[in-house]
Amino acid sequence: MRRALLVAALVALAVPAVASAHATLRFTTPTFGHELQRGPTRVVLHFDQAVRVVPSSIKVLNGVGDQFALSTHVAGQDVVARVAPLKLGAYTVRWRAISADSHVVSGVWTFGVRVPAPPVADAYGAGGPTVAEHVVRWAWFLGLALAIGSLGFRVICLRGLAVPRVLERKIAVASGLGVVITIHAGIVAFSLRAEDALQLPFGDFLYGDLSPMAATRFGRAFVVMTLGFALVLALVYLSWLLDRSDLLVPAFALSVLFAGGLSWSGHDALDPGSSWKTAIADWVHIAAASVWIGGLATMAGLLWYGAPELRRSAFANFSRMATVLIALVLGAGSYLSIARLPHLSDLWTQGYGRVLLVKVGLVCLALAWGAFHHFVIRPALDRADAGFLARIGRSLVGESLVGVAVLLVAAVLVDSKPPIRGSDQPHGGVATTLRP
Amino acid sequence: MLPHAEMVHWAFASGILFVGLCLLCEAIVGQEVWRMRPWRKYLWPGVAFSMGVLLWPVMAFFTNSSIHMYAHGSWAEVLMLAGGAELGLVHGRLKSPLWRLTWPIAFAVTGLAFIVHEQNPWFFARSAFLHHLLGWTFLLGAIVPLALVWRPRSAALQACMAFTIVAVAVMLFTDRDVAPVFGHLSPLAGPEHR
Repeated sequence: MRRALLVAALVALAVPAVASAHATLRFTTPTFGHELQRGPTRVVLHFDQAVRVVPSSIKVLNGVGDQFALSTHVAGQDVVARVAPLKLGAYTVRWRAISADSHVVSGVWTFGVRVPAPPVADAYGAGGPTVAEHVVRWAWFLGLALAIGSLGFRVICLRGLAVPRVLERKIAVASGLGVVITIHAGIVAFSLRAEDALQLPFGDFLYGDLSPMAATRFGRAFVVMTLGFALVLALVYLSWLLDRSDLLVPAFALSVLFAGGLSWSGHDALDPGSSWKTAIADWVHIAAASVWIGGLATMAGLLWYGAPELRRSAFANFSRMATVLIALVLGAGSYLSIARLPHLSDLWTQGYGRVLLVKVGLVCLALAWGAFHHFVIRPALDRADAGFLARIGRSLVGESLVGVAVLLVAAVLVDSKPPIRGSDQPHGGVATTLRP
Repeated sequence: MLPHAEMVHWAFASGILFVGLCLLCEAIVGQEVWRMRPWRKYLWPGVAFSMGVLLWPVMAFFTNSSIHMYAHGSWAEVLMLAGGAELGLVHGRLKSPLWRLTWPIAFAVTGLAFIVHEQNPWFFARSAFLHHLLGWTFLLGAIVPLALVWRPRSAALQACMAFTIVAVAVMLFTDRDVAPVFGHLSPLAGPEHR
């Protein structure tokens, strides 16, 4: 009975919902991201409460910024704008209204007339990725590598070894920190993408409606990854609290699984020429690189000086694991390069290709360093003295830093647009993007 | 399709009320009696930690205003942090009583988030009034868990902490009541929409 009451109390808490003090947009006509066969004669926004309109409350813009919305009026909880006849193409709707509590609420969405609607991140006026987005993406990759790598290192490389409690705690802290960085970087990345689409001053952005952005593939990936990594954080914490290292196994599996959110919403899942195979290859590429770089950093930063008695076994185990991971990284990376770059000359003629060349160069450096560790250091490890082991630690830190640099270039690469295959352009070459 | 705002307020108000009542029981009977059954010491810290985890879905699914998303996210984090620290202390994994500083920090962050995300004045509408009241209750109430860090055995402080949390739960229950009890305090708040 008592257990039932406890379960009932917990279930009562497990109902997610929303909290809002301002007018909330319930639905629109046309709906977010809809492809229409004919241009709409009016645009309707339905709110959960009455709102007031401001001049140009609703704008309907084409790819060059021409305005098609005519007069706007309020009808009950609806805001209605008449729309001039629309030709074939993609359109952006930008709206602003005054909520009952006097706050200005705003939003944006896209639709298409006989063409697919572009993602809301490509709405007219959006500028595309900035340096801030590159930095945030890098932080995202670093967090992911720290979380997945430290968990993978503990679960795979230290399996069956007597791990000191201090090292267990340090690994739990590192993986928890990685998860927190991943969640925060995800929130910032989502906000930056939404801010770019909404094109609002910061004060208005705070009350901006992000639901069209949440309805995109990127938004859904953000939701799934945030929830998934919150669960991973809880598992890592419980593993430390209860001294149950077996809980790190599901935490590792889930973190690898949810890292796929990036692939599911990126170029390899959405761009022309992409397929489920490119999305899976991208996921394998990201996950394997994260385990490799994060695991290396964990070994260099936490184990090498924190648990010297485990150096030899952990190094040997990591070396074996790294061989598999590098094979996966190279295999998936080569496949994606071929899929993304139709011509070899794209490597030096396209911006995307040049960034890829830099990344390949850094990966080659990391591979050479790793090969030196694998083929030279590992056989010499058994007869190594303390001074030699300390130098290996510094060498591992160096290799980890190259890995961090690889992640930085990867962040720029992910935010860059790969060249589009000429034969794969949709709808006979009609542009479906609104971004200038 | 997301449920109404009332649902989440009531669900979390239930959890907070449960935590407050546990704390009140502990303050009345004393820590030794309360912890005679081992699971009891994990009860309210566990519920607090779980509520922190469950606030993440609220943060992630509620995206019709940026500032609410950030407020929900900050509550999720501080509840996980404070609940987790308390679990660590009662389990013995954490030793330093300074970990209890996470509670005044959680109160302060929560209070600030309430006040910052409510930009209307106190008497604009019931929700504005309660947001201000909740915010200031948390901010001023942060003194109580702060004092408990140095006087953990004080029954008066424990009771104060319990009553503060119960009061917060009551405010949350009334914050999103569907019944129009003094719903709009100012004519500027527009027509009642419930």
